[in-house]
Amino acid sequence: MANADPKQYVGLATRSKEGPRLATGQGRYTDDFTEPGMLQAVFLRSPHAHARILGVDAQAALSRPDVFAVVTPEDMKRDTKPFRPGRYAAGLKKPVEEYAGAVDKVRYVGEPVGAVAARDRSTAEDVLESITVDYDILPANTDVHQAMAGEDASLIYEELGANLAWQGTLEYGDTEKAFREADRVVRENLKIHRYSSTPLEPLACIASFDRFSKKLTVRTNTQVPENIYDALRDALSLDDIRVIIPDIGGGFGQKIHLIRKYVVIVALLAIKSGRPVKWIEDRNEHMMAAGHACEQHFDVEAAVKNDGTVTGLRFKEIDDVGGSVSTLTIHFTNKLNNLSNTYKVQNIRADGYSVVTNRCPVIPNRGIGKPGMCYIWERIIDRVAQDLDMDPSEVRFQNLVQPEQMPYTTPNGNVYDSGDYPGLLKRALEKVDYPGLKDEQAREREKGRYLGIGVVIGVEPGGRNAARDMAIFPEMKETPGSGGINGATIKLEKNGTIALYLGSPNCGQAHETTTAQVAAGILGVSPDVISTTTPFDSDIAPWGVAAANSGNNFHLYDIGSIIGAATQLREKVLKVAGHILDAQPSDLEIADGVVTVPGFPRRKLTFAELGKVAYNNQALLPEGIDAGLQTTFYYTFPHAQPNMVPGKDGRVRAQFTFGAGAHVAVVQVDPRTGKVEVLRYLIVGDNGTIINPDVVDGQIYGSAAHGIAVALGEGFVYDDEGQLLTITLTDYGKCSTAETPAIEVEHAPSPSAFTPLGQKAAGEGAAIPSPAAIASAVENALEPFGVKVRDLPLTPERVWQLIKEAQA
Amino acid sequence: MKQTVRVTVNGRLYEEEVEPRQLLSYFLRETIGLTGTHIGCIIGECGACTVQVDGTLVKSCLMFAVQANGKEVTTIEGLADGDALHPVQEAFINNYGFQCGYCTPGMIMAADALLKKNPDPSEEEIREGLAGNLCMCTGYMQIVAAVKEAAGQVNNG
Repeated sequence: MANADPKQYVGLATRSKEGPRLATGQGRYTDDFTEPGMLQAVFLRSPHAHARILGVDAQAALSRPDVFAVVTPEDMKRDTKPFRPGRYAAGLKKPVEEYAGAVDKVRYVGEPVGAVAARDRSTAEDVLESITVDYDILPANTDVHQAMAGEDASLIYEELGANLAWQGTLEYGDTEKAFREADRVVRENLKIHRYSSTPLEPLACIASFDRFSKKLTVRTNTQVPENIYDALRDALSLDDIRVIIPDIGGGFGQKIHLIRKYVVIVALLAIKSGRPVKWIEDRNEHMMAAGHACEQHFDVEAAVKNDGTVTGLRFKEIDDVGGSVSTLTIHFTNKLNNLSNTYKVQNIRADGYSVVTNRCPVIPNRGIGKPGMCYIWERIIDRVAQDLDMDPSEVRFQNLVQPEQMPYTTPNGNVYDSGDYPGLLKRALEKVDYPGLKDEQAREREKGRYLGIGVVIGVEPGGRNAARDMAIFPEMKETPGSGGINGATIKLEKNGTIALYLGSPNCGQAHETTTAQVAAGILGVSPDVISTTTPFDSDIAPWGVAAANSGNNFHLYDIGSIIGAATQLREKVLKVAGHILDAQPSDLEIADGVVTVPGFPRRKLTFAELGKVAYNNQALLPEGIDAGLQTTFYYTFPHAQPNMVPGKDGRVRAQFTFGAGAHVAVVQVDPRTGKVEVLRYLIVGDNGTIINPDVVDGQIYGSAAHGIAVALGEGFVYDDEGQLLTITLTDYGKCSTAETPAIEVEHAPSPSAFTPLGQKAAGEGAAIPSPAAIASAVENALEPFGVKVRDLPLTPERVWQLIKEAQA
Repeated sequence: MKQTVRVTVNGRLYEEEVEPRQLLSYFLRETIGLTGTHIGCIIGECGACTVQVDGTLVKSCLMFAVQANGKEVTTIEGLADGDALHPVQEAFINNYGFQCGYCTPGMIMAADALLKKNPDPSEEEIREGLAGNLCMCTGYMQIVAAVKEAAGQVNNG
């Protein structure tokens, strides 16, 4: 075919499509919309971590004329059905009924117990006070080790018989043999705490119900339309559901899972009141009850040869999943995505334990279990280095998968598409002048200044396989799907402009800009004449299981479907133009939206002229061609086999593309105060072919900054009664410009062998290795004190304690 | 009991009846319909609702609408001159100094106020000047770059 170049605008920082509207206050977020007759909802929430609900009296609220609907636990039971166990709960041996709101019991502070819809929000807030709930307070379970020892303070789900709700094992290769034949075994206990990316826009929803057609429409800021769609179907027994997703004020995973509870209850208020109902979460509610990343405890051991080769890895993982079983194994199964990280080890065993506690349920957060998996690897590799008195980077080089091994199949069945891990690490060490830095460190130590260097490496998986969780639940009755499916629609309009319609929502990753860049090259137009239609609307969007602003899906599924739809549209344009211009389609060229016959300057058609034919002039259309210039393409990853669906061996492609990054953190620690200052943070990254460098850099900066903040102090803190102590952004420790270090990025791409442009993911990336990099650097700085870093976060108080403990 | 307020917002005078408890942020968003001012925490921590009142930076969730009586408020919608973007807006777009866009209006208002006071700030001064505005997406790198680019282009008179 003539001159289609999908890469014509790839690699350029073209002008942002979203920028002008976002920078002028013209973004359209859920709270910016109103509907005729709209009411405002607020939630009644549990003040207790664990209690039985003996009764709820909402009579006073219901009798007020300005209250239109109230939902109580009784209504939940009568008017809704429990959610079906999804892919992260299928391992439950006994079924647990989980409704959108609390019934019978509350299991964490902030759990929704009821809701009120009134004319305005302040009225609704006032009315909440008139609802009385009679609680029988039960002992709170806040310590996973108690549950592991079989010493539950009380049972959170009586039907499970224990708070240890799930346990299971994944084993690949022969770990027993590896450990038997090891020269030494290196062990460590590690922990990652509860944190969140705290999107600035809280959860939000407007629901409206047409009682005659039974169509339910929700406008909400979810990242994944499927979760809302399925939840509303399950809970409200409705089929005709429309999910509209406008601009989203940050997602990071926080708007994927628990948001469904609120959308269901707001929808129920809309059904009961016969009015549209809006709900906007407040910040305290978000901190208490919108979901946290999981507290994960790891007992890790590595089988090691004396030359530094790691031949086996075993770890036991205990997850504090909070007061819900709906995301029971999400942090464990996500470790399948980067189970062997960048290393060639063949024998890995993981024993997973999921413990329910009286804390906020866990949810996906930027990388989910992957930062934990990278932490396991990078901390244990540092320990191996200490044990063998080798440089930590030397041990890494010894174990890295080599570029000539690509594509490389990992023991658990992932296929790494491309990558030069030794090259990334080497370049990162060169960039910081590693030997020079170590000399400086030694000199400064003499003067009592403690510098630390952390060098780590991690893969960045991209493009989710919906069948992954079947690796631990082969008996799953209802499959969660497999591979990934998502679409895009492209239309050449009558005036010659191009409109795109994407199959998934966007929460700040410049999807409008990058899809236009790719489509422009294929169609032979400037990106300037392409626009993307928002908001996402499930009634018209070509969406499938991969329609998720999650799982690093965009580069694979959305870009893949845009390429497919644009290629089909181009073919159609050439056929119609060839017919009118009396030329073979293959002889035609397109540039700047004009189709020409090379060598015949007068034989040409603009896209506007073609549009007028395609929509207005049947007589000029070739036979056998449908009118209109609109194409829809659903993309599936053509290289999803082998291991798309796990067999008995549990081998599965957890994700489909693999970027990577080498991170170097240089810190200074003040041993008197425990304060850590990041002096330098460098990333040498492989994100495959980069479509828009400014967009990719932004993703890397943001994800690194969050991982660094998580390591240095961000986090949720509970007391022993299960009361959350960090309900504001300040208490939580959110970093501003003042605390966030400058981050340097250098790109060293290895284009993917499996994707049309060689593209890989960029969204989660730097959040995966950065906590490990900081841990490594702080430990290195405090080497003279004998400090070992096992737990995060490294707040000044914690660092100071570590020094005192080491000195004691 | 509602009270009458007369507030000039982006050069236009609004005379409205408001509840004394109404926050300026809700006055802007709901009473007069300027939704570019966002709400992220409502207790003055995040800066998403930052506006300028008589040229001074204000988190509009920390001021009642009645306190703005007789004052001039500038919101993100009032920064551009027709189709011509304000230099700070242009620099944010140029540098991809935003991702989801939710903090962006407040961040731009804060950056504009900073540059009016200090037309040529150092990186440290920029980071100090924007420390009241949280961004969860960007890691602030491209925001700082945008403010550097806009420096010198903002009229401090």
